[in-house]
Formats: sequence, C-alpha cells, structure tokens
Amino acid sequence: MNQRPFLRSFTAPAALCALGFVAAMAAVLQYSLRAYVPGSLDPGGFTLANFADLLKPLYARVFLDTVGICALTAIATLLVGYPLAYALVRIAHPLLKSALLVVVVTPLFLGEVVRTYAWIIVLGNNGFINSLLRGLGLIDQPIQLMFTTFGVVVALVHVTLPVLVIMLAAALSHIDRDYQRAAESLGAGPIRVFLTVTLPLSMPGVIAGVTTAFAWTFSAFATPQLIGGGRVNMISNLVYQLGFASFNFPFAAALCVAGLALTITVLAILRQAAKPFENIGAH
Amino acid sequence: MTPRSTYQRMLGWGGRCVVSLILAFLLLPAIVVTIAAFNDKAILSFPPQAWSWRWFARALDYPDFREGFHNGLIVTAWASTIALMVGAMFAFVIDRYSFPLKRAIEGVLVSPLVIPHFTVGLGFLILAAQIGWSRGFAVVIACHVILVLPFVLRSVYVSLRNLDQSFEQAAASLGATPLRVLLTVTLPLLLPGLVSGWLFAAILSFNEFTASLFVTSQRTQTLPVAMYNYVREFADPSMAALSVMYIVATAALIAFANAFLGLGKVLNIEQSE
Amino acid sequence: MPGQSEAAVRFDAVTKRFGDVVALDDVSLDIGRGEFMTLLGPSGCGKTTLLRLAAGFLGPDAGSIAIDGKCVNQLPTYKREIGMMFQNYALFPHMSVADNIAYGLKTRHVPRQECRKRVGDVLALVKLAGMEDRRPRQLSGGQQQRVALARALVINPTVLLLDEPFSALDKNLRAAMQVELREIQRTLGLTTIFVTHDQSEALSLSDRMAVMSEGKIRQLGTPLEVYRTPRDRFVASFVGDTNRLRGRLVSVDATGAVIALGAARMKVPAEPFSGRGASSAVDLFVRPEQLRLVNSAEPCAMTGRIAAQVYQGGHVDLQIDCSGHDRLLLRSAGDQALMRWPLGTEVGIAIDAEGCTAFPAE
Repeated sequence: MNQRPFLRSFTAPAALCALGFVAAMAAVLQYSLRAYVPGSLDPGGFTLANFADLLKPLYARVFLDTVGICALTAIATLLVGYPLAYALVRIAHPLLKSALLVVVVTPLFLGEVVRTYAWIIVLGNNGFINSLLRGLGLIDQPIQLMFTTFGVVVALVHVTLPVLVIMLAAALSHIDRDYQRAAESLGAGPIRVFLTVTLPLSMPGVIAGVTTAFAWTFSAFATPQLIGGGRVNMISNLVYQLGFASFNFPFAAALCVAGLALTITVLAILRQAAKPFENIGAH
Repeated sequence: MTPRSTYQRMLGWGGRCVVSLILAFLLLPAIVVTIAAFNDKAILSFPPQAWSWRWFARALDYPDFREGFHNGLIVTAWASTIALMVGAMFAFVIDRYSFPLKRAIEGVLVSPLVIPHFTVGLGFLILAAQIGWSRGFAVVIACHVILVLPFVLRSVYVSLRNLDQSFEQAAASLGATPLRVLLTVTLPLLLPGLVSGWLFAAILSFNEFTASLFVTSQRTQTLPVAMYNYVREFADPSMAALSVMYIVATAALIAFANAFLGLGKVLNIEQSE
Repeated sequence: MPGQSEAAVRFDAVTKRFGDVVALDDVSLDIGRGEFMTLLGPSGCGKTTLLRLAAGFLGPDAGSIAIDGKCVNQLPTYKREIGMMFQNYALFPHMSVADNIAYGLKTRHVPRQECRKRVGDVLALVKLAGMEDRRPRQLSGGQQQRVALARALVINPTVLLLDEPFSALDKNLRAAMQVELREIQRTLGLTTIFVTHDQSEALSLSDRMAVMSEGKIRQLGTPLEVYRTPRDRFVASFVGDTNRLRGRLVSVDATGAVIALGAARMKVPAEPFSGRGASSAVDLFVRPEQLRLVNSAEPCAMTGRIAAQVYQGGHVDLQIDCSGHDRLLLRSAGDQALMRWPLGTEVGIAIDAEGCTAFPAE
C-alpha cells in the first residue's frame, strides 16, 4: 500500500499552476529582451536595447520616485499604524475591540478603486479638505492636493494601513504580558517599558509589516494613476502607459523585470535587517 | 482599576487622542464618499447642496456596472473554487509529506505575494498572445487563481497545522481507507479553514484591479475595471453611490464573519487578556 | 509609637470583585518585617489576587494596602519598591543575563560601575557567577529561576513577591531551590510573600501561612499551628493528608471535648462544640500518622481490611477499607508494615487519644 496516498494526484494541479505562472513570467522576461516594433503588436528580434533605455534619466527618475514613494509610505504607515495596533491589542472591552477590528479590516476588502475614488473626493479642489478649510475661513484659494506626491502618499498610506496594523497586532498580541509586568515591578515607567521591552520584542512584527507594506505599495496602480493623474508616476503607471498607450510591450516588460529586481533587492535588505531580531521571543 | 499615577493617566488620554485621530483618518474617505453619494447635483463637489437617491438608482442601472458585476461573479466563482481545490490539496501534501521540488513549487506559488500585480497581469497578457489564447474569461480566471492561491495555501496550511492528527489515526485504526479518512474525518474538521480561505480568496478576486486591467477585455471587464473606466470619463456621484453600496456590503460581511468565525482568531491575534 | 505600624505589608479589609465574582472578601493581613508569609489555597481562592494587589497590578474595590506604613492604593507598580518573581520567570529574551538583572538598577539610575559590581555580587549569591553574558534561552529552567530571583533581589526591595515560582521545576530541583531561597531570604532579612497551592511547600518554607479559600483567610498561623490545630474543616482537609471519620460527641468542658468512635475516646479542642449537645454527630479529622494498627480482636475504634500497600521508600502508606467510612490512609515509618500487614488482613484501627481535631458533622 502506498505510504503516501494522494501525493501525485494532489500535487499535480499545483505543479500545473506553478508551471503556468512560470511560463507567464518567462514570457515577460522573453519580451523584455526583444525589440519594439512601432505600430505592431509583435516584437522584433532579440536585443538588450530595452534595458539600455532604462538607464535614461527619464526612466531612472521614475525608479527613484517609486522607491521614494514606497519607502515614505512604508514609514508613514508604520508611524500611524503602530499606535492603532497597540490600541487594538490593549483594549479589553470585547465590543470595542470587535468594532475596532471591523473598522480596520473592512478597507482591506474594498479594493483599490473604491478607496482611491473616495480620496479623490477628499483631496479634490472642491473636495472635503478644501471645502472645510474654505468654510472655516482659513484659506481663499484651494490647496492643490490632487496630482501631488503628497496626495498620492496619503492615499497610499490609507490603503496600506490595514494590512500593517493586522500584522503588527498579531505580533504584539503574542508578547507575554508578564514581560511588561516584570519591567514595571523593577521600577520602569510606561515610556521606559515601551522603549526597552515592548518595542524591541515587537521588532520581528515591525519588519514583517514594513516589508509587506513596501511590497504592496510597489504593486499599487490605481492610486498613483488616479490621484497622481499622470504627474506622479510610479513604475506601475509607466508599465501601463507603455503597454496600452504606446503598445511598447517589450519595454514595459523590461520595466517589469527591472522592477522585480528592485523589489527583490529591497526585500533582501529588509530580511538582513531582521536577522538580529530573529531569536527574540524564544523562551 | 489598576492604580495609575497622574503621568500614566495623562499618557493614557494622550494615547486615546492619537488613536481617535488615526481612526478619523481611517474613516474619513468612507464618510465623505457616503455624504457625496447623496448629492443631488451632478458635479463632484462638497458639501452637497441638495440631497437625492438618484445616483444609487443610476449606479444600479448603468449597464457597464451591471455587466462588470456579472463578469466579476463569474471570474470570482471560478477562480476561488479552483484556487481552493488546488490550494487545499497542495497544502495537504506540504503539511504531510516531503518530496523533491516541494519547496520549489511552494515558492513559485507563494511568490505572487511579492510580485506586483501589474507584472503578473502583463505576464498573462503576453503569454496569452504568444500561445494564441483568446482574451476571454479563461485567461482572467487563470490570472486570478495565481493571485489568490498564496492566501488559500496559507489559510488551509494553518488549519492543517492546528489539526490534531490523532482523529485520523483513530479512524485508520478502525479500518478506514485513506480516502475514507480524508472525506469523513479530515475534510469536516478542516471546514472552517476551508470556508474562510475560500471567502478570503473570493473577496480578493472580486476586488482585484491592477492585474485585471491588463488581462480583461471590453467583453470580460470586471466591476473594478468598469468603475475605473467610469471615473476616468465621468465625474458624477454614481461612483460614490456604488462605493457606498460596496462599503456597506463589505462591512456587513466582515462584521458577520467576526461574529461567527471570530476575526481575531483568523488573523492570529491573541484574544486573551 | 502611636500610629506607627510594625507591619511591613498591611492589608486592611481588602475587597476585590471581578464582575459578579468576589475574589477577595474583606481580607485583613499583617506581614512583619523579614517575615516569610505564604498564601496557600486551591486555585480561585484569591491568593494570586492578593499578591497582585500588593504588586499594584490591581487596585482594591474596598479597603487599603500599606507598604512600610504608607498607603499604596493609588501608587502604580513602578513606584513601589517591590521585587517580583513570576511563574514563568519573564526574563527579557532580548537581553543578556547581566542586562536583565541590571534592569531594576538602571531604572533607579545606579551608575554603571556600581551596577556591574552589584550584578556580579548577586550572581554569586545565587551561585551563577560568570553567567553575565548568557541569554535566557541558553539557560536551564533552574538557572533561569536563579536569574529571576537575582533580578528581584539586586534592587533591595522592601518586599519580595513570589508567584508560584517553583511550579515548573521537577521535584528534586524544586526542593533544592526552596532551601536556597529560604537561606537567602533569612540572610537578607527580606519580607516575603509567597503564593502556592502546594501545601507541603507552604509547610516547609513559611514563618507563617495564611490558608485561603473563596476569597477569605481561613486560618493564619505558623505551619505547626495550622497543621496541628486546624481551625475549620477546610483547613483540616486541605493542609496535609487527613482521614475523616464519623464519631459521636460524648462531653464538652473548658479543657476540651471528648469524641467517641467504637471503643476509642479522643480529646479534641472544645471551641467548635460550644452549645452542642451530647451524642450529636461529629466529623473527626485524623492524620495518617495518628492511626495505629492493632489485632482485630483488641478493643479499638473500628475494624477493617488492608486494601492496598503503597511503598514510598522511607515509609509505607496503607489503605484500609472499613465499613461505614471512606477508605483510610495510614502511614507507617520504615518498611516493616509490608510484611506485618499483608493485603487482605483483618485489622483493628486505634487512634491517638490526643492531637486530632473534630468539627460538628455537616
């Protein structure tokens, strides 16, 4: 009798999916190495020209902007999300906790378009913020928030917040309360307890959260597209424009490959940063 | 009723203020969009001068939205079900057995978590073009399966890890074949994990936008893509109305899931204390 | 001096509720300087709650708590001068042993040189010299224990609080640690509150012990007092092994009450029987070492049959079935009992005339 029943039959579909995905990624890689034939959907012969073009200042700038936006978003999300995650874990009242959890989790399931759209109404020249400031008499002319990097980052932070809060809350909740009590019993006030015990012990969760925030933000498209409106471009927007406006799929593919290399590099760096914290929490 | 110094009390109130501000930030768009949806005028201004339900009616009538909804349901139903079957089966073999290529396949299937959706979308678009696959539902479904598979895998894997194998061993000792054990013992015990995995996959697939933008065509447009196209052309509050319906439906679903499944447990947030 | 209390820790009419449950009901307790006080009781009796009130993790609903004469009801934990040992040690995993121990010194702004010296001294005291740079996860259970103790001791606390610190250790290690703790505590003259559910631990360590159940202190006294003269049936049955037998009240006077069981007559304290009439039913509590086996023909309290022999190395526990009573437990030193009273033998039970306790039957 087979000691490992179902092994083949259960693995086959997954292997098939994996193969399909690899094929799709290989297709991207392949296209990135082929020439762009203007006016045609089919690519030309093999060339490295696409990657050479990437080094042009125009595109290099988009790369830097993207990294900048992702980093800024990740850090801002962390600063805003940590107190929220902490509150989520510390609140004792079950109803309040459930309500908070629902409020934090729901945006996660709304999809990019709905959330970005809502921000358009908030940030627009006739939108919420400007109307409020006008109504209070604080400004005469509307402040330009749409089509700015600031607007894009604010919306991106809002989009990334739930996932970071959830990961951080999970990590925080697993820190034994007794550590805090022990610190208090030794004379540590609340700030010292947080800085010397809670924060260090939450570092693995923090790094995991920041890593995820970075990867998610890098993948964002609708938010920079709709709020950036063409003036704030991330790699995602560029890929779309090249593919669907110019039909320059080879170059779009090259951008994807380069973007992937970038993500992997950043994630590897973050992984290294996590190493010293890996053994914390082991009892 | 822990004794607190004045300093601690002040910190506590300061903390509450900060968290309230953050919550206000979190809720601001939803509230603003809801108010805007009731605006009688066609322009996207704030605050509304007059109130009306008409944008809700328009949103529900708009053919592109209806088609998008319909297409979305088709794609999601297929994608999450396929992903559940493939993911559950593979999670089973990952948990129980070791074999060559296990880590490799697992790595490939989990990688969409860090690969941007626009890359995945572009990949499937190019692949379809190269092998002569028509841009119908099949491509979209395949793309979605790949995107939601990591979540299904993780959900089912965690359930399997928490499953006490002694139940299956007891069944085997009583003479049940592996298949019978699987169907009568393992599957029923895994049900909560499978259901939450499916639900998670379905919601993610239904709302997926970026990759769908690349692989859908005019004919197979899903709802998020339809909404995106609408926003680019029109500036009336129909989208706001649609968003409100979206928000209400999702919040209700989440609250429901929390009441019955306990969101905290699903998200691995410890409940004690 | 009027108004100056001798007590290092004083609980005054303390009440604590959790929702509908009353965890502590009007509890008062004085703990003297340098005293080793054990709070003993089953889970849910309120002993841990009382400890947490002393630590400041909880505040009382009624009553007051004073440390060194000062009321601390409103004083948060980090301002109290306490040293605490937790059940799972709570050693900070991200710090070395030295940093763990120095933590309490750093919060008190002790200069670095002095820190280092004091850490070294206290590590020597707990016999872990040289372990400064290890991490908690590299230490065995017993070693982690000692570090936790060192961390609490190095700050010279006013009172040492211990929350079932030995429950995770195996028997031999536990016994060794108990002895060491007591020696250190005596040397330093440290006021100590020790919480446990293990009555043999309480008996062996304490200067005084408070036996608690359902939020109240049932008896407060030295281990000898509590063991020899339990004040109520709960204490009689919770502390030490005991046999409960049904007897009859014969007479009561100022010197004591006389209980009859079979042909035996036992003298017990009179307090529980004030106002009771002769011949009323009585629950007699007899320790295993107060029973003796005699030939079944001789006059005795009752007869029975040897049901089991439990060999314990230094002594033998005999379990005896007697009709009309629960199974009896009798302790016999050495191992002669194995031969002398084999399984199934008919025996007579004799009870020591003095030293038992009894309470009116329920």
